[in-house]
Amino acid sequence: MDIDFVLLINYVIAFITLFSVNFFILLYFKHKDSYLTRPDDSGIRPKVSIVIPAYNEGMYLEQCLQSVLSLDYPKEKLEIIMVDDGSTDDTCKIAKNIAASAEQSGFNFRVFTKENKGKGAALNFGIAKISGEFVATMDADSYLSPNVLLEMLPYFEDKNTMAVTPAVKIAPTRSWLKELQRVEYLMILFSRKILSFVDSVPVTPGPFSLFRSSVFSVVGGFDEKNLVEDQEIALRIQSHNFKIHSSLTAEVYTEPPAGIGELLKQRVRWQRGGVRNYWHYRKMIKPEYGDFGMYFIPMNFIALAAFFTIIGLLLYSFFIAPYYVRYIWVQTLGMNIDLFTFLVIFVVLSTTIFVSVAVKSFKGEKVNPIYILSFVAFYWYLMFGYNILMLIKELRQEAFSW
Amino acid sequence: MSWSIYGVALALSIVMFLLGIYVGQIVDSSSKTDISKDISALSQQMASVQLLLLADSTQNNASSATSFCPVYLSQLSAIDHQVEDVGYRLSYLEDVKHLYDNDLKKQYFLLEAQSYFLSKKVKTLCNENSVLLINFYSNSNCAKCNDQGAEILKARDELLDKKVKVKLFSFDGDLGSPVADALKNQYGVTSYPSIVINDSLYPGYYDKTQLEKLIAGSK
Repeated sequence: MDIDFVLLINYVIAFITLFSVNFFILLYFKHKDSYLTRPDDSGIRPKVSIVIPAYNEGMYLEQCLQSVLSLDYPKEKLEIIMVDDGSTDDTCKIAKNIAASAEQSGFNFRVFTKENKGKGAALNFGIAKISGEFVATMDADSYLSPNVLLEMLPYFEDKNTMAVTPAVKIAPTRSWLKELQRVEYLMILFSRKILSFVDSVPVTPGPFSLFRSSVFSVVGGFDEKNLVEDQEIALRIQSHNFKIHSSLTAEVYTEPPAGIGELLKQRVRWQRGGVRNYWHYRKMIKPEYGDFGMYFIPMNFIALAAFFTIIGLLLYSFFIAPYYVRYIWVQTLGMNIDLFTFLVIFVVLSTTIFVSVAVKSFKGEKVNPIYILSFVAFYWYLMFGYNILMLIKELRQEAFSW
Repeated sequence: MSWSIYGVALALSIVMFLLGIYVGQIVDSSSKTDISKDISALSQQMASVQLLLLADSTQNNASSATSFCPVYLSQLSAIDHQVEDVGYRLSYLEDVKHLYDNDLKKQYFLLEAQSYFLSKKVKTLCNENSVLLINFYSNSNCAKCNDQGAEILKARDELLDKKVKVKLFSFDGDLGSPVADALKNQYGVTSYPSIVINDSLYPGYYDKTQLEKLIAGSK
């Protein structure tokens, strides 16, 4: 390989990184004063159905259902549908007990049990039974802030809006891994909000998302074979040129993976499902899909290509480059400042600033700066592992699993 | 489409990118200046050792010269490390970044030659058992020179683990450096790669194992 060609690739990746960072910064400054606001509340309270699929969620279910019953919303306008997806623990029993007392308090709360066929199928099963104008899908290991519906519904004033995503957060914990994920979630939320200003919300998160019920009759239900069905439905909705908005004031709390192994499994699943979904929706790379089609989707492919190119170049430097070049490279490590040094400094600095601004933008969220620094210094690089494992699993055509 | 934001982001990125390239060039240029300064400083350090050796030899007192050996050896060892570092930095510019500066390289060869002659003198005077190896290569006319360089480095590192110290000096024979040409003439180098181990010429390519045998035989 010609070294000048390598330099050219480095320049291209550096420029794309620079462009993406600048694009985000400009979007942030343009909408700086409006990202924590929402459209005005019309005061109308439409009927909202909440579908909660659950598989062996006995541990978290009570907290989840109690938060639904505590919503700041007229109870006669709420319809709660809990779908027990063939749980083998006490999920069904807990749900039925809570539903019974909720019905006595005037709630419309129904519990269904079905054969285990996965989350997508359970969601579709529940959605088939709703009667609300809007439907929220909710994970059973999550819980809601009381104002969540009041914060999200105003976005539907725009008739072309078919879904609204909330601010999915992790409650402060004493676990370092969960705290790092908390920083990550805040950064993702912040990015998603910025992207929503250019109609590029890539996912309607599983913990809680609110949909206009009619959208399912137009685009169809959840993809039952897709393991990141919350992303696939978001792409499908936008492939019909409908909008998805993002709210930062509707807070939903979820339970993140507690151990590294669990985290790795979850993220590799997200990466694999994500890449497959973007590939499936590559047909959206057209001007008619606006920024989502012409910037966001291509940028996902470019970022992935850049990632594997960097990995390839590093492998090339360490294993394939002539021995004397590697020898010199190792001997001069730290002695020479070059483009790579600048790129690393730029990426580390801009990531640190971005994460700090993201965390700070959520007033009331207190994060120890050590976790922000640890996120930038260590946690962020787990992404390398996720992508490499994703590639290995895809190449080996391993079956998807939760 | 948010054309205005894309436009501003693109313009900003172009400006920052060009600024980055410009800064990169300044950094490269300052790397060359730093190398040049280091060469001059090392040359001066070597001159002081040479002066000490000269002073000793004028006294014609063998025992005095030998008593200074620890000083020579420690100073030379420190200088050798620095000369080697400068060599790596120069190679980094040339082999990794493709930035060529023949004048700087000639300056470096002069330093290497100074180091070589000094090492040779101290080796004899102090009965030091290091091996002096010169690698004559050509950047323009030699298919095996890169491989030869790699094999020499591998052999040197392996021998160091066996407590055999090999001092390596490399010269581009086609650069037109007067000092490299003088050494070529002295050892009769006519082709590349060619190596000289303790004053004996070995033309052609030798792999790591062969080199280790040659070095063992030359001690």
